[in-house]
Formats: sequence, C-alpha cells, structure tokens
Amino acid sequence: MLTNNNSNKMFFLFILFFSTLISISSNSWFGCWIGLEINLLSFIPLISNSKNLLSVETSLKYFLTQSLASINFLFMILIKFSLLKNFNMNNIISIMMNSSLLMKMGSAPFHFWFPNIVEGLSWMNNFMLMTWQKISPMILLSYYFNKNFLIFMIIMNLIIGSLGGLNQTSLRKLLAFSSINNLGWMIFSIMISENLWLFYFLIYSMMIFMMISLFFLMNMYFMNQLFINNMNFFIKLNLLINFLSLGGLPPFMGFMPKWIIINFLLINKFYFLTFIFMMTSLIIIYYYIRIIYSSFMFNYFKMKWVNLLMKNNMSLINLSSFISISSMILSTFIFM
Amino acid sequence: MCFNSFFFLFFFMLINYFFFVYFIMNGLSVFFEWEIISFNSMSIVMSILLDWMSLLFMMFVSLISSVVIFYSKSYMNSELNLNRFIILVLMFVFSMVLLIISPNLISILLGWDGLGLISYCLVIYYQNLKSYNAGMLTALSNRIGDVMILMVICWVMNYGSWNYIFYFDFMKNDYVMFIISFMIIIAAMTKSAQIPFSSWLPAAMAAPTPVSALVHSSTLVTAGVYLLIRFNYLLIDMFFFKVLLFLSILTMFMSGISANYEFDLKKIIALSTLSQLGLMMSILSLGFPDIAFFHLLTHAMFKALLFMCAGVIIHMMNDIQDIRYMGGLSLYIPLTSLCLNISNLSLCGIPFLSGFYSKDLILEMVSFNSFNLMVFILFYLSTGLTVFYTFRLIMYVMINDFNLMMIYNLYDEDYIMLNSMFVLLFMSLLSGSFLSWFIFSYPYMIYLPFNLKLMVIYVSILGSILGFMVSNMGIYSLNKLLLSYNLSSFLCLMWFMPNLSTYGLSYIYLNFSQILFKNIDMGWSEIYSGKGIFNILKNYSVFYNIYQMNNFKIYLFSFILWFMILFIFFFI
Repeated sequence: MLTNNNSNKMFFLFILFFSTLISISSNSWFGCWIGLEINLLSFIPLISNSKNLLSVETSLKYFLTQSLASINFLFMILIKFSLLKNFNMNNIISIMMNSSLLMKMGSAPFHFWFPNIVEGLSWMNNFMLMTWQKISPMILLSYYFNKNFLIFMIIMNLIIGSLGGLNQTSLRKLLAFSSINNLGWMIFSIMISENLWLFYFLIYSMMIFMMISLFFLMNMYFMNQLFINNMNFFIKLNLLINFLSLGGLPPFMGFMPKWIIINFLLINKFYFLTFIFMMTSLIIIYYYIRIIYSSFMFNYFKMKWVNLLMKNNMSLINLSSFISISSMILSTFIFM
Repeated sequence: MCFNSFFFLFFFMLINYFFFVYFIMNGLSVFFEWEIISFNSMSIVMSILLDWMSLLFMMFVSLISSVVIFYSKSYMNSELNLNRFIILVLMFVFSMVLLIISPNLISILLGWDGLGLISYCLVIYYQNLKSYNAGMLTALSNRIGDVMILMVICWVMNYGSWNYIFYFDFMKNDYVMFIISFMIIIAAMTKSAQIPFSSWLPAAMAAPTPVSALVHSSTLVTAGVYLLIRFNYLLIDMFFFKVLLFLSILTMFMSGISANYEFDLKKIIALSTLSQLGLMMSILSLGFPDIAFFHLLTHAMFKALLFMCAGVIIHMMNDIQDIRYMGGLSLYIPLTSLCLNISNLSLCGIPFLSGFYSKDLILEMVSFNSFNLMVFILFYLSTGLTVFYTFRLIMYVMINDFNLMMIYNLYDEDYIMLNSMFVLLFMSLLSGSFLSWFIFSYPYMIYLPFNLKLMVIYVSILGSILGFMVSNMGIYSLNKLLLSYNLSSFLCLMWFMPNLSTYGLSYIYLNFSQILFKNIDMGWSEIYSGKGIFNILKNYSVFYNIYQMNNFKIYLFSFILWFMILFIFFFI
C-alpha cells in the first residue's frame, strides 16, 4: 500500500467509526439515517481503488444497493412520522423499515449483492464489510423490529447461507455465505437480548478476524490454494481450529454464543426453529471441514508447483489458536 | 521372574496349608467384611471368607501353579516374551484366589470374568489361526456363564446384599431363588464344560502345555464345580439339579467314548478331564458336595501331572502330539514314564493311589444309595471307559514298538521339568489318603454285597483288556474301522455337538445379516441418508447458484418489487 493512500484511508476509517457511533446513539430516527448515510459515504473511498477495474465496479455496486436501502429507510421514517397516530399501520411500517435495514446488512432475501461485492474486495476490506458494517443496522433493527417477519427472515438466512455455500470454491464467497448464516443467528439473538447480540457479535468478529488475518498473511483467495505441502503444521492447526470454531463445534470458542441461543430456544419451546438452526449448522460445518480435512489426513492432495515461504510470524497464530481452544472453558472459571 | 513367582507361590501354599490344618482341627472360619458403600437399600461390601474349604483349595491351586511356573521355565525357555506369560499366569492365579475366597457375588464375578478373560489370553498365546479359533470358542462359551452370573447379581438385589451365603436358609423356597439357582447352574455348566457347552475344552488344547496343566485341568474348569459346592444348600432340592445330573452323566459317558477315538495326546487328556468333570458334577448333583470336592482336589493333582508329562513327551517328539508316532517310550525315558504311569493309574482308580480314594468312594456311594438304573449303568460304564482309554494311551505311547520318529531327542534329564513333576507325583500318591483323613472326620457308612463291591474291579479289568486289544493295530485295521464309519464319526466328534454350537448357531444369523447389510446398509440407507441427502443438497445449491448469477439490475429491481407489493397489499 502506498503511503498516500494509506493516510487518506485512515481518515475515512476514522469517519466510518464515528458514523456508526452517530447512528446508534441518536435519539431520533433522522440521526440514525444520517449515520447510515455517512457510513456509506465513508466506506466507498475505502474500497475503491482507481487502478483496478474490478474494485471500481465493486464500489459502484455497493453504492447503488446501499443508497437504495437508505432511501427506503428515510421514506419509511417519514411515513412513520406522518402516520404517528395510526397504530394500525405499525405492523407494515415495521416490516418495511426492517426490510430496508436487512438490505443494508446483506441479509436474505436481499442478499444478492453481498457475495458479488465480497468477491471484489481485498481481505481487510472484507473484514470491515463483514463485521463493522453490520453494527449499526443491527442496533437500529433492535429498536423497532417485527417478530414474525424477522423469524421468517432468519429462516431464510440460515437456509440460504448453508445451501449457497455448498457450491463455492472461492474463499471469500464461502465466508460471505457463512456470514449470511451467522446473520441469522445474530438477528435471533437481537430478539432475545441486546447483551447476547453484543456477545455473539464480538465472538464472531474475533473469529472472523483470526481467519481473515490468516488468509491475508498467506494471500489465499481460493480453495485450491489451501492444499499446499509445506505449510507449517501450526498454521494448519490454527486453520482447523478456527474453522471448527466458526462452525460452532463444542470445545472451541464459537460454540458458546450458539449454545446460549439454543438454550433460550429450547426453554421457550421453539422446537422447529431449533431444528432449522441445527441442520443448517451441520451443512456449514460440512463445507468447512471439506476445506481443511485434506491438509490433515495422511494422504492428502498436494499442489506441487506452489511453494509457499512462510514468514515466522508464529506468536499471533499461536495466541489465536490458544484463545479459540481454551476461551470457552476459561470463561467458566471467570464468570461462573 | 520364574523363580521369584515360584518361591512366592510355594510360600503362599505353605501358609495356606498351615492355616488349613489349624482351621479344620479347630472348626474355625473367618469372615472379613468391608462395607464400601451403602445407598438406598443396597449395601456393597467386600468380604472374604476363609474356611477350611477355601484354604484347602487355595493351597492346591497355589501348589499346582507354583509347580507349573517352575516347569514353564524350561518348557517355554525359547519364548521371547516369557515375562508376559508368567504375568498372565499370575493374574490367572489371582483371579482364581479371588473366586475361591469370596462369599459375595460381586467378587465372584470379578474372579469369574478374570478367569474367562485371562484363559482367553493364554489360549491364544501362540497366535496362529488354530489358537485364535480355539480362543474365540473358549471365550464365548465362558461368556455365557458370565452373563448368567451378571443376571444372578441382578436378581439377588431383591434381597438387599450380594452375600448369598446368608440367604440360603431363609429363602430356599422363594421364586427368586428358583431363578437364581437356574442361572447359577447354567453358569457352572459353561465353566465346567458340561454337555451343551462342552465343545471348548478339547479345542482349548491349542494353548501351551503349562497353561493346559494349570488352567484346563485343575483351576478354570473346577471353578464351576466350586461355585455349585458353595451354592449347594440352595440347590439341593431343586428340579434343575436333576437336569444337571442327567447332563453331567451324559458328559461323562460321551467324553469317555470320544477319548477312545482320539489320536492327539492332549485331546485325549482333555477329554479325560471332561469325563472326570462330569463325574464331579454328577456326584455333586446326587447330593454329596464333600465327595465332589474331594475328587476335585485329587483329580487336580494327577491331571496336572499328566499334562506335564505330556508336555515333556511333546517336547521330545519335536512338537508332534499324535500318539501314533510314539511308542515304546517306557524303555527310554524312565522317570517321565514313571510319572505318566502313576498319574494314569491314579486316574483309573487303582487301589491306594490318590484317585482310588475319591473315585471308589463315589462309586460306592452311587451303589449304596438307590438311584435309578441309568445312573448306575452310566457311572460304571464310564469308569470302564476311563480305564479303556487310559490303557489304550499307555499301550500306544509306552508299550508298543518304538516308531523311530525321534531317535536322538530322547532326553530325560531335564531336571527342572522333572523336579516339578516329582512334587506333583508325591502329592498324587499321597494326597488321596491325606485328604480323606482331613476332610472326612468320620467315614461314610457303606455296606454292599460282594459282587457289587467288586463291580469296579470287573469293569476296570474289562476296560483294560479292551484297551489292550484296540491298540494292536495291524495292517488291515484301517479297513475294518471304515466299516463302522457313520457310528464312529458320530462317537468320535463328540456327538456332533461342537458343530451345533458353533456353525449351527451362527449360520442363520450370518446369512440374515448379509441380507440386511446388502439391502439396508449399502442400499436404502444410502439413499435416505448419506449420499441421497448429499445429492439433494447439492442440487439445491446448484439451483440457488443459478439465481445468484444474475444481473445486478435484477437484484435492485427485486427489492423495489418487494416494496411495491408491500405497498399495494397493505396501503390500498
């Protein structure tokens, strides 16, 4: 990265953070909308790079979808204010406001832009898209949501996130679909309690960070780049643990928030929804394991023409593996 | 390792001997009890019962095992993993001791299961195909007995604790005790290889000879008899005891006949063990537990000695066990043939050797108390058959012409093996009288007419003459044997029971499971789970991808369409 661009991007990053804070801490719907607009405007310079045609196209697509959603959001706010005394309209207006926020986030059924755009971004921009950009729409969702509509959306999220990812070979699209699936869990956790959503979101963003940083360091964008012979054993182990943790397998960190959500589901007798959560999780873990298993068996595919020289950047990787493995158990020592 | 364990076990035997004498002279018995846990109405206690019976049996077991370990120092000296062997034998002795001293079903189960498992490990010791098959047969037959004892444990929980000896006097006519007695009898029948379960004992001769001497002659197979002796108060009026009588008499008879057709040295001795076990079980089921115990102990002595002599002979014949290759050995290996002859004659019941005291007492008790004709005939017939195969064995191995198989290997000076055999020789000469003076504080009153008293001798002489005649094989003997092929194959293959209990039991199930495997495991369950679901999901994913790969304008338009629909349906 050239230094010129770097300082500019720092500026826009700073404004990005502030925009989210504006959006979530305002006491009027207008303030929320303003925050969303500033979010959009400051994210576009981050992802556009005029030397690369693909990233120009990506930033254009992002701009179009997000501005459409923002316009809709503003319009619905105005309708809501004008029909303030008519409570019969609450249902429909909440559905419409939720749909525009869902489109902002990239949740089904308005998610079609999400894998496209993710394919065109670099890893760090992807990280911002998948984690930070979801904060303000979700918090706004939690202010005024329609339970029945949202449950329907959750089910669609889960199913599309699991089924869409089965046929992918690009790592970015894979993480995009997994992000859509996790959106389903996160929206449901909003309906349980905001604290729980915060917990889930923090753990999810930590896991995504560990994986994306690993892919970024190794410069990997596609699945066939993973079958490399001379990867360090600890890197493979870290990859395995992070993927399993993202899928929600028990001793790892990613199981904890999902466990709490399932607990809530079962206590309140949401049996059918539990079934859908579980089965889609299974499909997701299937395609995670499909990525990493071959590097762990004794006989595995080896691409002999790629020679990866790894820098000895072990401490971060070791630390992240350790956190993924032990944090669930250690947290019981601290919090219970 | 051999010497250490030999000395330890010998010392243990001496301790047991002194305690036995003290206890039986003073009529003492000691009961240790340690209550481990007591919850709701069950109490789990670990108890140890030391009375004269358990001390005596422990003494004999430790004597035989110490001598066998000493013997195996020379017998198995070419074995690389001799320590493993010795450790297995020691674990076996420990399980047996646990079984002997326990008045409590849980520790009986521990000893019983330990015996079964370790005898499996010892039978498969040589690790060839025959040993594996034999070990599987042994382990699975013994497993039936283990299951029976587990169910007994379950049923005895009705009474509140697992110390069964306290409940005999009070609960004799209970329905629960009826079921318990049935299961105990079946467990003892599997361990002591009575008729439905008798196929494992000749097959278990694939074990090394010291293992056969210790396990299959005196300790493992007598564990069943010992269990029934302990449970004798319970079982004495039960119907199943009569069933046991019938089956054990048939066992005795059948194995006596089969031993006459056998040409494998160890199998003959195994079938002779089976016959004597049938004798023990039958006299036990007639209601004389102390005579059964007496015969158990004397039989242990001379049978172990017999196995050890067989081991020496097998070593000399360069590991050939077929008696048709042997002959005339009494001229060349005097000490071993001395031991062989004395143990064989003691087995037949020749007067004043150790086997005579127990066997003759058994036969006289059978004649004195009036039992039915079949019992009487089969007892005496089996005694005659014992003499028959014994004399046949002696003729083949010792007396007939020397077959020149191994002329340079006739080595009788292996004093390690010989010393261990001499210890047992001494005991097999004297233990009959010694035990009868200790165990029976007053002799049994037996008053028989003259010919009935001599019936044993008549039958023995008849058997010995037949044994002599059968072993004179001429050049056309094989042709003449073929005339009775059907009958002799029936009698020789143990009345086809091994086939019934192995092939007959498993054929239907294996056939059925092949059908199930082909149709369900590799058939329908692949299409309803496994591959079928994978194909469904893959098709859905491909279908979804067609939607995903679209123009961008269409995505935006779909959103607008959604809003238009919402507007139209809810605002107008």
